[in-house]
Amino acid sequence: MNDLSRASMQREIDQLQAQLNEAKETLEAIRNGEVDALVVNDHQGLSLFTLRSADRSYRLFIEQMTEGAVTLNHEGLVIYSNSQFARLVRQPLSKVMGSFFSDYIYEQDRPLFKELLSRGWKSNTRSELKLTVGDVQLDVQLSLAVLEMDEDTALSVIVTDLTNQKDIERQLMIKNEELRRLNDALIASNHDLQQFASVASHDLQEPLRKIQVFSKFLKDKEQDNLSSSAKTYIEKIFSSSQRMKMLIIDILTYSKLSGDNSLADTIDLKEIIGEIVDDFDLRISEKNARIEVSGLCVVEGNKGQLRQVFQNLISNALKFVAPGRQPHITIQLAKPDPTEVGILPSEQDNYCQVNVSDNGIGFENNYSSAIFSLFETLNPKGAYEGSGIGLAIAKKIIEKHRGFILAKSKVGEGSEFSVILPFKQPNFIG
Amino acid sequence: MTKVLLVEDDLDDRLLFQTFFADRKDIYLLPPASDGLEMIEYLKSIPTDDDLPDLIVVDQNMPKMNGKQTLSFLKSHKRYSRISVVIYSTYTDNTLVVDCKKLGADMVALKPIDNEGYQKMMDDFLRVI
Repeated sequence: MNDLSRASMQREIDQLQAQLNEAKETLEAIRNGEVDALVVNDHQGLSLFTLRSADRSYRLFIEQMTEGAVTLNHEGLVIYSNSQFARLVRQPLSKVMGSFFSDYIYEQDRPLFKELLSRGWKSNTRSELKLTVGDVQLDVQLSLAVLEMDEDTALSVIVTDLTNQKDIERQLMIKNEELRRLNDALIASNHDLQQFASVASHDLQEPLRKIQVFSKFLKDKEQDNLSSSAKTYIEKIFSSSQRMKMLIIDILTYSKLSGDNSLADTIDLKEIIGEIVDDFDLRISEKNARIEVSGLCVVEGNKGQLRQVFQNLISNALKFVAPGRQPHITIQLAKPDPTEVGILPSEQDNYCQVNVSDNGIGFENNYSSAIFSLFETLNPKGAYEGSGIGLAIAKKIIEKHRGFILAKSKVGEGSEFSVILPFKQPNFIG
Repeated sequence: MTKVLLVEDDLDDRLLFQTFFADRKDIYLLPPASDGLEMIEYLKSIPTDDDLPDLIVVDQNMPKMNGKQTLSFLKSHKRYSRISVVIYSTYTDNTLVVDCKKLGADMVALKPIDNEGYQKMMDDFLRVI
């Protein structure tokens, strides 16, 4: 009996071992997705089990997601939830499973959810609503899709937390509002500034003119009563007021450039430069200056303003010349160098470059951008008269025309100013 | 002789006008008005049209009624519309010139700083009227 029983036990063990191996193999097959269904013979007889391979991979997949994911049955019960959703609603996963999903929906959004649910069972759909978590509402997006499971269907709900997005939207709105306010303030202050510059300049000019009038009076009418040093002082008063007048007019010109000015003229640069040279006739012949102008271009813009630019450049070229030297000014076309001004090589042909070069006193190249700043003068007062606004005006005008202005120089040899203007202005209606 | 009326709030400028033009034989200076309102009162007080000024020189920058407003008053009243009006100012720009011409000014001038400038300005005024 013992032997027999041992032998039968051994058979039993072998059989069980075989069953276990079979089960292991089946499991392996299931894992590898080789089996869709299997029949199990248990104490209740044969029964068929489908392998919910789709469901399983779905679960694996959603567990990896950063979004909340739940599966609902037809009653709206949560039959499966990933841990992210449980964390989102701050409930233990075990409690979430088997609860009604609608319990998590913010009360006021429940009718919306009901509607969403009935739509979701028909086709994929999504909507934004709020969940209630503790005492607060959470903005979420629900994406609903029907899942085939066994012979049955379930509803998959992906829950995307919109808190961050809504926060960012809110912040964006606040920032936009702030920006609008700042912009309004800027427009107002810009307007004030222009008013200020204009009023100040007008009102400054009246007393200034009186200084000029009465110092002239003194000089002319009281000539016999004045000592020679008194005459010198009066001369200084007069020339200082003259200089101040020039400053005020230049400031006024500069401040006016901030306003809206139309760029609606078609300008032949050769023509305006010709006019300027005519205007400077007296200074040119006084200094015996030589001016060469060759082959210029036609651009769109504000005629008066561009005239001012070249007037300032030519005036400087005539002004900043070493005493005794014959000024020689060349004004000619050049090809814009894209690397110098930061335009695309493909845009190169859209620009016209005019170089104004002279044989004047020049400046050190490290000042080549500083000279375009307001009130920047490189020379001691008295040596060369200037307000330090002329080049700032030129730069502002050229920039309004979407162009560029550059300066290169060698001390004692001369300077070259390059004006680079686009041929066309946007929205040109000239 | 051209009867000239100055409308000017600035005392110094009224004196300068007097100083530079008192000796001129071709003009007769009427007593100056210190602003547009005073000018209106003065013109109203003149009984006969023949005694009205031939030329009114108006400063642009005045309180209460500035040069442009004074000019448009004159041009919109039949009794005064034939009087020549010039605007003069310490500062002029394109806008002022265009506006004043539109309102019917005969000339817009910059205030001079010396006798030479004043005489030349008056010569120009007399030429346009």
